[in-house]
Amino acid sequence: MANIYQYCIDYFNDAPIIIQLSWVLSALFAVTLISLIFYLKFLRSTLRTKERIQNVYLKKYESDLIEYLYSGNEDEEMTKEQGIIVNYLHKCAQNRLKRKLIITTLLKLRNEVSGETADAIKRLYYQTGLIDYGTLKLRSKKWEIVARGIKELAQFDVTEVHYNVIAQINHPKKEVRREVQMYLVKLFHFKGLDFLDLLKSQLSEWDQIQLLEILQNFDDQNLPSTTKWLRSKNTSVVLFALKIAKIYNQYDAKDEIIKLLEHPDLNVRIDAIAVLGDLGVFEMVDLLKNNLNEKDIDEQIAFFKMMENMYTPSDVDFLFEYMNHENFDIKVSVNKIFKEMNIQDASKFQINTAPESPPSSTNLIQAS
Amino acid sequence: MSEVKKVLLAEDNSVLSLLLKFKLEKEGYQLFIAVNGKEAIEIVEAHSPDIILTDIMMPFVSGLEVISHVRYKLEIQTPIIVFSSAGQEEMVIKAFNLGATDFMSKPFSPNELSIRIKRLMR
Repeated sequence: MANIYQYCIDYFNDAPIIIQLSWVLSALFAVTLISLIFYLKFLRSTLRTKERIQNVYLKKYESDLIEYLYSGNEDEEMTKEQGIIVNYLHKCAQNRLKRKLIITTLLKLRNEVSGETADAIKRLYYQTGLIDYGTLKLRSKKWEIVARGIKELAQFDVTEVHYNVIAQINHPKKEVRREVQMYLVKLFHFKGLDFLDLLKSQLSEWDQIQLLEILQNFDDQNLPSTTKWLRSKNTSVVLFALKIAKIYNQYDAKDEIIKLLEHPDLNVRIDAIAVLGDLGVFEMVDLLKNNLNEKDIDEQIAFFKMMENMYTPSDVDFLFEYMNHENFDIKVSVNKIFKEMNIQDASKFQINTAPESPPSSTNLIQAS
Repeated sequence: MSEVKKVLLAEDNSVLSLLLKFKLEKEGYQLFIAVNGKEAIEIVEAHSPDIILTDIMMPFVSGLEVISHVRYKLEIQTPIIVFSSAGQEEMVIKAFNLGATDFMSKPFSPNELSIRIKRLMR
C-alpha cells in the first residue's frame, strides 16, 4: 500500500508541469462535484421534509377550518368549539410559516365558495388576528411584502384599511400600484376609481384592461362621471376615462370629449375621435371636417374610420375629395363608405356606366 | 327505508371536497371523492353513483372527458352538475353539448348546490 502511495507521489513529482496541473484540476473538480452531490442530496431531503411538514399542517388546518364552519350556530357569535379552533389558529399564526399555511387554506376555500360560508371564512380571518398581520405588511419596507399584503386584504374583502392602502397609490413600484388599484376597484367598484384623482404615474394598458375586466363583473348602475378624469393632466387617466365613456355609453361627457380633440397628446386625440363616433356625436363631424387637413395623418385615418359609421348623404362631396388620397387607410375607408351608400340609397349616389367620352378616373363616380 | 343516494364529487381542491363531503353526508348522502378525472371514471364504473358533481379543470382527465365517458362510453343518464370558474364559459357550453345536466359557476354557495342536488335526485 505504501509502495503504491510512494509510486503515485513519485509519478506526480516526475511528471511535466502540465500533467501536474491537470491532476490538480481533476482533483479539485472531483472534490467540488462530490460536495455538490452531497449538498443537493441534503437540500432535496430538507425540502421534502419541509413539504411533508407543510402537508401535515395543511391537512390539520383544512380539517380545523371545516370543523369551524360546521360547529357554528345562529344563536351564538362563536361557539365553544369554534373558540378552541380560533385560539389554536391564533397561536399558530404567530409563526410565519404556519401563518402562511393558514392563509393559503382559507383562501383555497374562500375563492371557491360564496354566501354564508365565505362570510364565515372572513370572520375567521378577523378572529384569528390574521388581519393584523395583513395590515402590518402595508408598513413593510420591502415592496413585495406590501404588494402581497394588499392582495391578501383584497382577497378577504377587508375594506376597513382602505385609507392605508390608498396611501400607496403613488408607490415607486408598479406592482404595488397595481395591487392598490385592484384592491380599490374590487372592493369599492366604481367608487374605487377615485384613485384616478390621485394617480401621478401612468396607468398601463394592461392595468386598464384588468380594471375594466373587474368592473364588468358589477351590475352597479351608479356610474361615476368621467368628466373630471377627462380633464386630468395624467394622459393615461384621460385614455382610461375615454374607454369608460365608450364602454358605458357616457353621452353626457361628449362636450368634454370634444375638447380633447385639441389635446396635446396624439393618442388622446385619436381615441377621442373614435369614442365620439361610438357615442354618435354627429356635431363633431363638421367640426373636424373644417380643419381636417391641419390634423395629423393618424387623426385623419381615425376620422375616416369613424366616418364609416357616421356618414350622411351630405358628406358625399367632402368624401369625394379624399377618394384618391395618398394614404391607403383613408382611401379604403372612403371607398367603403361609397360602397355602403350605393347599397343603402342608390338614388343619392350612382355610378355612370356609359359615359360618352372616355372619362378620367376621378369622373367615374358622381354624386347626384 | 329508502336507499342511501350515492354522490360522486370529482374535485381537485381538497378543502372544497372536505366541505362538501361534510355538508352532503350530513344531509344523508353517501359521498365518493375523486381528486382527478381518472379516479372519477373508476368510481363511476365501480359504484354507479346517483349523481355526479365534477369540476371542469382537473389533472390527468378533465371534467369534459368524464362527461363524455359517462354519456357515450358507459351510456348512462346519471345527472351531472359541472363546476366552472370565471372565463370558462365556452367549456360550460361544451359540457352541455356533451350531456351535462346543470352547471354552477365558482364561487358558489354550498347551500345552493345542495338544493340543486335535491331537485335533480327527485
